[in-house]
Amino acid sequence: MATRKRTVVYDVRRHPELGAGGGIVSAPIVPVEGEVASDYSENFSGEHMLINIGPQHPATHGVLRLVLELDGETVIRCIPHIGYLHSSFEKLGEYRDWNQIVPLTDRMDYLAPLIYNCAYAMAVEKMMGVQVTERCKVVRVILMELDRIFSHLLWLGTTGIDLGAFTVFLYTFQERERIYNLHESYTGARITTSSTRIGGMMADLPAGWIEQLQSFISNFPRTLDEVETLLTNNAIWIGRTQDVGVITAEDAVNFGLSGANLRASGVAYDVRKDRPYYDYESYDFDVPVGEHGDIYDRYLCRMEEMRQSLRILQQAISRLPGGPINVSDPRVILPGKTATMNDMESMIHHFKIVMEGVRAPVGESWFSVESSKGELGMYVVSDGGSKPVRWRVRGPSFINIAALPHMIEGALLSDVIAVNASLDIVLGEIDR
Amino acid sequence: MELSGRSGEGKGGLPVVTGADAGIFSGSPGFLTTRLDAVVNWSRENSLWPMPFGTACCAIEMMATAASRYDLARFGMERMSFSPRQADLLICAGRVSYKMASVLRRIWEQMPQPKWSISMGACASSGGVFDVYSMVQGIDTIIPVDVYVPGCPPRPEGLMYGILMIQEKIRRSKPLSSWVQEEDLVEGLPTVTAEAVNLITSPFGNSTNQNRSSGLMSTGAVRRVSDRRP
Amino acid sequence: MSNDSFRKGLEGLDSGPAGSPRETPRVEAPEGGIPAHPTVDALRIQFGEAIGLHELVAGDEHVVYIDPARAFQILHWLRDEPGQQYDFLQDLTAVDYGNGTTIQVVWQLWSIPNRLNIRIKADLPLDALEVDSVYYVWRAADWLEREVWDLFGVTFRGHPDLRRILMPYNYTEGHPLRKDFPLRGRYSRAEQTQRALSMTIEDHYSAIELAVARRIGQDLPEVIVEGGTGLTDSVGMGSGAGDI
Repeated sequence: MATRKRTVVYDVRRHPELGAGGGIVSAPIVPVEGEVASDYSENFSGEHMLINIGPQHPATHGVLRLVLELDGETVIRCIPHIGYLHSSFEKLGEYRDWNQIVPLTDRMDYLAPLIYNCAYAMAVEKMMGVQVTERCKVVRVILMELDRIFSHLLWLGTTGIDLGAFTVFLYTFQERERIYNLHESYTGARITTSSTRIGGMMADLPAGWIEQLQSFISNFPRTLDEVETLLTNNAIWIGRTQDVGVITAEDAVNFGLSGANLRASGVAYDVRKDRPYYDYESYDFDVPVGEHGDIYDRYLCRMEEMRQSLRILQQAISRLPGGPINVSDPRVILPGKTATMNDMESMIHHFKIVMEGVRAPVGESWFSVESSKGELGMYVVSDGGSKPVRWRVRGPSFINIAALPHMIEGALLSDVIAVNASLDIVLGEIDR
Repeated sequence: MELSGRSGEGKGGLPVVTGADAGIFSGSPGFLTTRLDAVVNWSRENSLWPMPFGTACCAIEMMATAASRYDLARFGMERMSFSPRQADLLICAGRVSYKMASVLRRIWEQMPQPKWSISMGACASSGGVFDVYSMVQGIDTIIPVDVYVPGCPPRPEGLMYGILMIQEKIRRSKPLSSWVQEEDLVEGLPTVTAEAVNLITSPFGNSTNQNRSSGLMSTGAVRRVSDRRP
Repeated sequence: MSNDSFRKGLEGLDSGPAGSPRETPRVEAPEGGIPAHPTVDALRIQFGEAIGLHELVAGDEHVVYIDPARAFQILHWLRDEPGQQYDFLQDLTAVDYGNGTTIQVVWQLWSIPNRLNIRIKADLPLDALEVDSVYYVWRAADWLEREVWDLFGVTFRGHPDLRRILMPYNYTEGHPLRKDFPLRGRYSRAEQTQRALSMTIEDHYSAIELAVARRIGQDLPEVIVEGGTGLTDSVGMGSGAGDI
């Protein structure tokens, strides 16, 4: 049985950094290499216990349920149970038109709904061979990067709470409210955005939206800096995250981890770089990669990802082209309202698309984007009808959470919550 | 068909206590108990400890309600209780699957009297878009529900309005005459009869089935458990 | 127009969605044949007969059909062969085309060093829904195979712990993603609700946990948390923040 060893202990003396005016800028407790804690589990082994966490537990981030076998305080077996939120999205999708599935996608991952909207639309467009307009591409990049920040902020706030840092939650939710406002002024909904359509978007960006986004971009780094001041050098934060929940690069790949969880282990796999879509290769951004594969590295990766997303947002805004947002392909896009009301052919066309739905040719596509949680794959199979034969979602958290037992078996009970939080799961998409 | 899930209170309209009924001016024995009722209600309504049973999207809006901008603490609810044993308001936010149903019932049973519940969002109230094999079509077949908050998900303002309605309900209750609300939940059975479950969970207004032309499905309103006349 | 034309969305509500009109729809090859894929050529040399049709879908996605009997060999070779190195199992799923035809199992692979995709498919007839597990090749397959078993009823030979994952352990209505499974389940809502509420504690536990509980002589813990929850409560608001 593996026992957990703390290889880092903390020097209790503070090393204050003085600013230019002589005031204390920060007073971090600096980790120093020290004695390895003794192998305590050997002395206190023997009594085994089975405990149950969830499905209704504040720290399991939803309705995840873990059954742990403990030896004293050490976890020797962890069995996750999922399915407590199984909403049968994939079955429901077989009864829906291609466009009607869009509202289901944002109920799947309600932390980053726009990424799911876009990923689904992109997969169907790829299968149908529809090329969206340049403006649509850039708008979708903006929306996806915005929601990456949106999701990471929630992860940051709740992980902070799980580890005892409550203030962070209030800071991040303040910023999230700004993104909620952006969502709302574009789509009309705060979370369930349903913004994409096959071949374009539900509407063009409203007037003033870009300015609103720009003011968010200029104000957001300040909050991020404040949060980093609170956490990055915080002794409790370091003590509970460094060297906890470690997974090696080889294991991480074998377990299929993706996103920040994989990159924290040192594998530089990012779909935006490896299989670029929507001209991501032409944006100037970096992919942060960790080296220890522990919670702290995942935290650092996500913090940096938010800053990189801001960079992408800036570039996207500056290159946002004019022109139509929807393709002019009559197979997928409704005719304009005026034409529908005045012209018989357009009326019939409108009627057919609404009543029968968009028809996709025989084919299939497995398409993935980099969502906030990892690689989000959408597998759509069509037999030529207006409804899919199969709509499958490769949820990144579904696969990430499967590695949880590997990370916490042998660790302490108190680390279970921390490791679980660090994986950034969303149960809506795990259970589907 | 009797659809009401909770007996012992509120049938046929909520009682409104006015000064004249209560005998404030006549000096009758009712005066003391009425005032005591008011005091008990006042303390109950302003210190509700909600138990957030959050499962999906609605839970995020519930968090937003509790966070900095909407600040639920204004209503005396800053103490969210994650243990059902120390809670008196269950907020069921999000969809509930059949796998979860027994857990929800268990949590409700563990909450001490007096207790109230809010069904937040379309999925908790009626199944929402998820008219599928795995989802409970309205948690009122599992537990009694006091307030339904519509929306997918409801905005924080909507949840707050629901909470204010619970407070209003508490204000009008008579704790001294019925300190404990009787419930007739039977272990392993829904809150209503099997026919009633089938009736209130039959498809309506849902895009899978919605079709007036087909004539196959009723598109009229369905009376749900705990529907009460105002 | 008759009422039947308006029955959009209603078909299959009680009997499962309609199957595909053809057996298994095939995508037509593009003009001038399919561009070469290094892995497909290597697979043909290595495994010959076991490698079936090679398709190109959605413009640039290569699909190879294999003989299900040799699935483990082929997939293991794809991961370990120095020239291939498909070390990342992106997805493992199944597709049911209905009408009593085959169920397709789909492996979607990605090679991080070579930056190459390939999709492997195997057709399983309905009376022999069995294929080798790749649990020991990619651990990512663990839950994915359990999911396919749960929703389609495909058995993965060699999976150490093949049990339901999304549906309850005592679920008796079948495998929901099969085309013959009705959207609203096989039982009435009243029956489903009653079964759900009659779930006992044992129904929430798998065989492993029951065995562990027996071994250490402990009652099964309740399926929900009781009592205080420590940290989150102690920070005051707690705020529902855990309940994502």
